[in-house]
Amino acid sequence: MRWRPGPIVTILAIAAVVPLVDLVLPAELALSEAVRTVFLYAILALGLNVMTGYAGMLNLGIAAFMAIGAYAFGILSCEIYPFQLGFWPALALTIPIGALAGFILGAPTLGLRGDYLAIVTLGFGEIVQDILKNLDSITKGMQGINPLPAPSIGGAMWTSNDERSWYYLLLALLTLTVIAARNLERSRLGRAWFSIREDELASRSMGIRVERAKMIAFATGAAIAAFAGGLSASVLSSTGEPNNYDFQVSILALCIIIVGGIGGVAGVLVGSLVMVGLNSIVLAKATAWMAAHGIGSQGNVMLSPNNWKFLIFGLALVIAVRIKPTGILPPKLERGRV
Amino acid sequence: MFDFEVLVQQLITGLSNGMIIALIAIGYTMVYGIIELINFAHGDVFMLGAFFALTLMGVLGMESWGPGGQAVGVAAMLVGSALFCGALNWSLDRVAYRALRRSSKLALLVSAIGCSFICMNLGLFWGGLPMDVFAGGVAAAAPKDFPALVPQVNLLGESFIRITPADALVFAVTIPLMVALTLMVNRTNLGRAMRAVAQDPVAASLMGIPVDRVIGATFFIGGALGGFASVVYSLYNNTIGFQMGTRAGLDAFTAAVLGGIGSLPGAVLGGLTIGCVRAMSDQYLETRWTNTIVFCILVLILIFRPSGILGSSRKEKV
Amino acid sequence: MNATRTAILTLILIPCVGLLGSHSASAQGTLKIVSSLPRTGSANAQTSTIVNGIKMAIDEVGGKVDGWTIAYQDMDDASPQRGNWDPAVEAQNANTAAKDEEVVAYIGTFNSGAAKVAIPILNRAGLVMVSPANTYPGLTKPGKGEANEPMVYRPSGKINYFRVVPTDDLQGVQAANWAKDLGIHKVFILHDRELYGEGIADVFKKQAESLGIEVVGFEGIDSKAANYRSTVTKIKALNPDLVYFGGTTQSNAGQIAKDLRSGGFKGKYMVPDGCFEQAFIDAAGAGNLNDNTFITFGGLPPEKLTGRGAQFCSAYRTKYSADPEAYAAYGYECARVILQAMARAKTKDRAGVLEAIAATKDFDGVLARWSFDANGDTSSTVMSGQTVHGGKFEFVKILGD
Repeated sequence: MRWRPGPIVTILAIAAVVPLVDLVLPAELALSEAVRTVFLYAILALGLNVMTGYAGMLNLGIAAFMAIGAYAFGILSCEIYPFQLGFWPALALTIPIGALAGFILGAPTLGLRGDYLAIVTLGFGEIVQDILKNLDSITKGMQGINPLPAPSIGGAMWTSNDERSWYYLLLALLTLTVIAARNLERSRLGRAWFSIREDELASRSMGIRVERAKMIAFATGAAIAAFAGGLSASVLSSTGEPNNYDFQVSILALCIIIVGGIGGVAGVLVGSLVMVGLNSIVLAKATAWMAAHGIGSQGNVMLSPNNWKFLIFGLALVIAVRIKPTGILPPKLERGRV
Repeated sequence: MFDFEVLVQQLITGLSNGMIIALIAIGYTMVYGIIELINFAHGDVFMLGAFFALTLMGVLGMESWGPGGQAVGVAAMLVGSALFCGALNWSLDRVAYRALRRSSKLALLVSAIGCSFICMNLGLFWGGLPMDVFAGGVAAAAPKDFPALVPQVNLLGESFIRITPADALVFAVTIPLMVALTLMVNRTNLGRAMRAVAQDPVAASLMGIPVDRVIGATFFIGGALGGFASVVYSLYNNTIGFQMGTRAGLDAFTAAVLGGIGSLPGAVLGGLTIGCVRAMSDQYLETRWTNTIVFCILVLILIFRPSGILGSSRKEKV
Repeated sequence: MNATRTAILTLILIPCVGLLGSHSASAQGTLKIVSSLPRTGSANAQTSTIVNGIKMAIDEVGGKVDGWTIAYQDMDDASPQRGNWDPAVEAQNANTAAKDEEVVAYIGTFNSGAAKVAIPILNRAGLVMVSPANTYPGLTKPGKGEANEPMVYRPSGKINYFRVVPTDDLQGVQAANWAKDLGIHKVFILHDRELYGEGIADVFKKQAESLGIEVVGFEGIDSKAANYRSTVTKIKALNPDLVYFGGTTQSNAGQIAKDLRSGGFKGKYMVPDGCFEQAFIDAAGAGNLNDNTFITFGGLPPEKLTGRGAQFCSAYRTKYSADPEAYAAYGYECARVILQAMARAKTKDRAGVLEAIAATKDFDGVLARWSFDANGDTSSTVMSGQTVHGGKFEFVKILGD
């Protein structure tokens, strides 16, 4: 049978040519800068998808793990701390650190029923921000940790101005994450997760070790989210403020996986493109264009296009789930149910 | 140093704040109880209720009314905001949630999140209305002063402990509402129908209960309570802003879960617990750790009582 | 059916970039000034006045400098999902501006945290950045922030970042001095746990202690809380005669004033320039502020301005039919200092404009006559003290005199 590329391969392949398209577009329409943000959110959402999509555990605090990854990366690599591990070792270490954080939160709480777990994760998201702010002797509080190293391969350094190399590095790391997620999905463990998601009691009676499987899902998701956090800190060369990892980030990640099609990798990719793309490409460029043409620059609040962004984002969410409640690209296996 | 007066004052503050949280929490718990939706838009419906009340005050010029007239004005705002929020919440259900009844809970959740963003944006526009109560609407996003129609003077004279008419208002509005609601759920036909739908919507519809209408009524009542809460909140704090719904919603949702989601007395207990824990932490520890402490207590309670303080572990719903 | 739905959804959600309008080909001789400020969410009220100020400055020169057309682009560094400044968006704005060769100056940011992201990106591109609002000292001053600041923001080794506002380390000191003059013995310090608020509160605390004012409390509040009644009870029990709040209108300075008064606190209340705007009085309610609230500000208030400043005020009133706020003056000052430097610049490219801005000397500004010092800071250190009387700000004195 002839090989036909699936949606995942198609999406990644299209992403690969975006910087080339940019070469012919004028500077203000360039896409690759915004697409980088899409990649970071896609990795974060893939992490959330392991917890919520595969194992069915609603998590409203995924940003906390992203923050842990970012700060771990910062502390391990920044010149003001003693470790100074450099980009690759520090980034690699965000993965076990994230997994450990997931384990610490997950161990006492995974017995909780669906929405009770959701509120615990939400609370964890708030606590992590508070701790990062309050332990300012370690985390620098609101200062954020900077500068953070950019990757280097064979002595060639990336800087945040060196766009194309950054772009392809992020794309490569996203692809790696996608491959990892696909392998998890098809593994014995993945099947155990799906089974738990559909019916926990039945899975238990089939001999699946439910607690262990849930724990692994939680730790894996946390590890991927922490990886996304470390990566985004390196892109910005700063951890930013603890507030940058707030509830809204967790909510965006959740919207990405549900609008895209929960439980499938392709859905997460499409979801990131649509939701983050809506914010950072369509809305950003549309308002910039309107402002440049003098539309609604002053006067009443309703005349300024910037003030419509919440509304448009909200409408997009409502309309998207109304038209396709299972998401734009739901996983084939489960089409029609989640 | 332990000062008894300080402790009493903090308890009063904690209970007043807790009562307001509880009133919002009931809106969450009712909706959750009946369709298992964490209604993210509830906090923003509450916020719009506060803008409605302030607009009503401005249109009717209540600030210039005499004391008796202002009492009537407060009553008018309570009723007006309750009807407004009830209708708004009902419309959200009709437009954005009803079509998703058979879809996954997560799709419903995203729809609610979307509604929350839409409502927040409407609040931003509302604050831009060119009215005196909105400071001319020049700085639409800035916090708005909500005039103290209920005075913030001490009923106890010059003592350290202060109980103000605003504190009294909180209790005078919330306690009767909670009693009335409990009676309604337990004694009326509508209440019985709501409990039946919560138990099993299919069976309820087979028994001739109009499920969609009952759910719509639940949204209306939950929203109306949010409307009452918005007026009490505004008269107590005297500031409103288009982003206030997010925090109020988070607090209330936490309270609902802490008390046992789906349980009305649980929501009240959860609200009061959170209010008091906050006040005590602000006084005896440091303010910057207060949120952390609230959530640590939540996690501890859930570890030992996985369904909240008053939640029943067997039944899943109200 | 499903395919149709997918198609419809795709059509609705991804309006392709082509729809965004044709790119207007740039005429020869266009120079661009961009600003990057949080335009979505709660800071919108302040940033709108900054943008008004910028536009006014550009309109005053007829949108032209030496025959070059000046285009202005108002970028938003906030995102709807955050409702506040977003580091990813700020980085994106900075990179977009760095790549667009017509851009010769970048006005921003509003938040010092955002500046930390943007400065190094623009620095590598040799693009000048002038801020109307960042007051965190470490961005420019060695020894005031972290050990590696400010060099960490200058990867090229050259200074490209300037600001027209005096920094927190100056204002916090002057505020404490003023408190001493007001006869304060005991102070309770609050801050909003933001870079700006906590920074200025820290400086205030150190100076107050060195002046012999007893600091009975130093606490970070939750700026999203509904009220601060429990904190006020704590404050009242310690009986200070001043409460200092390091924070802004957005971080609830108005609510604190309300809770202090409704909680029966009789002492004074002092806030920094993040509250020097009518929105603060509107939010707090004039009755809670009148005659017992003190506001410090880096510059002179509009009605005390003479010369350029007075012209600016009357022009602003005519154009926007509102009194200019402090932020409007800062925005206007930023744009004017850039426009004048562009006129002086020998070459109308980034390097030329950067060099001309760095060489700004004895600039006849609306706030004072000032120069940029070697760090990129304004040499103007005029601080004024205001109080609130009858629901309006009232000038009290020039601080430090």
